[in-house]
Amino acid sequence: MGEQAIDQWFMREVLPLEPMLTRFLRRNWRNEAEIGDLRQEAYARVYEAAQRERPALIKPFLFQITRNLMIDRLRRQSVVSLESMADFEWLNVSDDKPSSEAYVAARQELRLLQAALDELPPRCRQVVMMRKVDGLSQKEVARQMGITIETVENQVAKGMRLLAQALGNRRGAVTSEARRYNSFRKPRDVR
Amino acid sequence: MSAEETEAAAAGWLAREDRGLTAEERDALDFWLSQSSLNKVAYLRLKAAWQRADRLAALKSPMPMSRVRWWSSRPRTWAAIAASLALLLGGGVYFARRAPSEQNYVTAIGRMQAVRLADGTQVELNTNTSLRADVTGRTVRLDKGEAYFDVVHDAQRPFTVYAGNRRITDIGTKFSVFRNGDDVRVTVREGRVRVEILDDAGAPVVAQAGHVVVTKGGETLVLAKPDRDIADDLSWRGGMLVFDQQTLAEAAEQFNRYNARQIFVEGPARKIRIGGSFKAGNVDVFVLLLHRGFGLSVNDQGSRIVVSR
Repeated sequence: MGEQAIDQWFMREVLPLEPMLTRFLRRNWRNEAEIGDLRQEAYARVYEAAQRERPALIKPFLFQITRNLMIDRLRRQSVVSLESMADFEWLNVSDDKPSSEAYVAARQELRLLQAALDELPPRCRQVVMMRKVDGLSQKEVARQMGITIETVENQVAKGMRLLAQALGNRRGAVTSEARRYNSFRKPRDVR
Repeated sequence: MSAEETEAAAAGWLAREDRGLTAEERDALDFWLSQSSLNKVAYLRLKAAWQRADRLAALKSPMPMSRVRWWSSRPRTWAAIAASLALLLGGGVYFARRAPSEQNYVTAIGRMQAVRLADGTQVELNTNTSLRADVTGRTVRLDKGEAYFDVVHDAQRPFTVYAGNRRITDIGTKFSVFRNGDDVRVTVREGRVRVEILDDAGAPVVAQAGHVVVTKGGETLVLAKPDRDIADDLSWRGGMLVFDQQTLAEAAEQFNRYNARQIFVEGPARKIRIGGSFKAGNVDVFVLLLHRGFGLSVNDQGSRIVVSR
């Protein structure tokens, strides 16, 4: 598979699993500050594996890799800490049916995006809206808002990170059971 | 480089790409991407999100924003209706009118239930719990187990929970009470509560949000706890048991409250300290992890599971 094809595959098949992956990490890893690292490392390993051979079953593969990463980290920790790696959810990730989350109806997708957009800080939100809703170029956005193009660029960078985070955390397609279990799990303090 | 730094770098590149790259910049980006798969995946992740945001163009007039907002609020309404229906139809608790002035609520081992008292106060009953509420809903007797109260405040009619020889009176609040025989533990999430010993002239203790009151016989101890510990204390409301440096003996005791199959930890293994979050009803996974994580031996005898070194 050529590099472009792997990139496309990764964006189409792996990244839509992020809300599920994030929930899995949250539930099984207490240190919130490390979740971004774990996720990125898991993605990198999946990507590298796909360069050799594309995995047939993506979801179990991604979760297996994530689980191994967590075990590696636990082994390296000096304080013995036991997390429920053999979580119920994990045990059930054995098939590769398209998750309902990977295929979000267009209307729901727009709703998710708008909810994410609403969460952005005001200036960032305005830049993203002018760029994405009105379809203006960065240069036009800078002119209309009376700010420098560097500022627009910074706000675009900030906006896409916050959007990615919001979409990766989204609760849109969570099952009622998962919602119940998650209902009281507040994000942990950064240790 | 941390994931955070890699992501910031990737966002910088994508923002420049969004503005338009010069030939040199394109080369530099290609070089950066080729350096590490971590760079590559961080870049692809943000790129995918940014591409998805193209759909926001659908918000452009003539479609008014207010309309979008309207239907975006609908599912929540339906979820609320569904949730209240589930509450109405919910199993697990049975109502037995003991006396005309009292209502009895009971949960079996491993079950939880939410109920609403006559005054509107919301009560969540944990596993193996029995409580009685008087007809006004302002006086509750906790016979055993644990319950979380989200009290409708009424300055004229204080809300009172009797647990063993303790009286807990709310001063507008959310709190939980756990009673195990004469031991009573009160965890305050919001507001304040007053905890008194019945038949005792001693001064009552007032505990506020973030406090845990532990009582045993005539002793009362108030501990200020960080938010995280309070959340851990109340995690049963989500069906989870959360441990942070508790001993294995204590953890087993917690599991045993929720399951007919009882865990017995023997010998030095009782002192092992563990952390983690677990589904309260999933004993098998817990003991499996003890076996795998600590190399403890697990002897499953059906209704008894004996764990030892």
